[in-house]
Amino acid sequence: MQHRKSENCMAVRILLVDDHPIVRQGLRTLLQGRQDWEVVGEASDGIEAVEKVESLQPDVVVLDVTVPRMNGLEACRLIQQKRKNSGLEVLFVTQHDSPQTMREALDAGARGYVVKSNAARDLLEAVESVSQHRVFTALARSPQASG
Amino acid sequence: MKLRILLADDHEIVRRGLCSLLQKHEGWEVCGEASDGREAVEMAKRLKPDVVIVDIGMPSLNGLDTTRQLMQHDPQFKVIVLTITDSDQVIREALDAGARGFVLKSDAARDLVSAVEALQSKRMFFTPRVNDLVLAGFLDKGHVVARNEAPSLPTLTVREREITQLLAEGKSSKEVATLLNLSTKTVETHRSNIMRKLSLHSIRDLVVYAIKNNIIQIQMPAQIRSAPETTVV
Repeated sequence: MQHRKSENCMAVRILLVDDHPIVRQGLRTLLQGRQDWEVVGEASDGIEAVEKVESLQPDVVVLDVTVPRMNGLEACRLIQQKRKNSGLEVLFVTQHDSPQTMREALDAGARGYVVKSNAARDLLEAVESVSQHRVFTALARSPQASG
Repeated sequence: MKLRILLADDHEIVRRGLCSLLQKHEGWEVCGEASDGREAVEMAKRLKPDVVIVDIGMPSLNGLDTTRQLMQHDPQFKVIVLTITDSDQVIREALDAGARGFVLKSDAARDLVSAVEALQSKRMFFTPRVNDLVLAGFLDKGHVVARNEAPSLPTLTVREREITQLLAEGKSSKEVATLLNLSTKTVETHRSNIMRKLSLHSIRDLVVYAIKNNIIQIQMPAQIRSAPETTVV
């Protein structure tokens, strides 16, 4: 993956997508510990997510499934369609602790899927993995993450 | 002296966001975090925070029953309920439970600081919609009289509501007994009383009752087609 250069050389550029500002704030707080990662923007719905992917060209999109206007699965499909071969990866961080939804997310082109209830535990490892194009999935039901 | 705030939400990611928001305010300190209602009650009794912020949809003991138990223990507790829905029923229950603040989770980043400031000044804080309901006389005596005249619905005791939630979450009577430090026989007795009071005949009926009455919250399946979505955190 060619990381765009910013003030932090080779920083992983991350776009956060969730309709709750308080959740986006929580995600930022978790991610800010990594000097080589940069949150470049936020979006509160699927359509805004697609627009911001175009304008900001992040490396990783952290995306909720249930967002207004265009849900996360549709947004993921569209993002991957538009940014084919760009190396961009999508990581779902969602309330849906369901193997079926996880499968749908991966089919839509996501590289990672973690559940919000365990986001504090799994997020950093998940972003690390997907930014290196490795699959990372962890449901709350199963004790082991797979990556 | 710093204003001490206890947070109760089952999602650590939300607690991190709330902490980050609240600790920017000079003079405030998050003195504890709980991940379910039961833990919140125990921590509140021990830490005696100035303000308690509770998510409505927590496992083991939901936010409304947490509020009731806190008020029962000490009516001086100041509780702000965080909720994803502002339905009439939820608003009424939160106010009846003794909450002094009511904030929509989607607006927490905007409203929570104002809510805590209000409670700090011994005022109440509600989202605009709740204020409208209050102004419209939702809580005035006339309305209360009208409610009292309506056929009364069976009411569960605080303990019965606790047990209803745990059973609806799928716990066995034995597991409930262990959690609540009761004998299995006592739990079974409560269970029979609950089923009889509510005229229910199966655990499935109990689950439906618990969902309808906001004792537990359900997660809607993800939709793969674009449509206006209910947002759940």
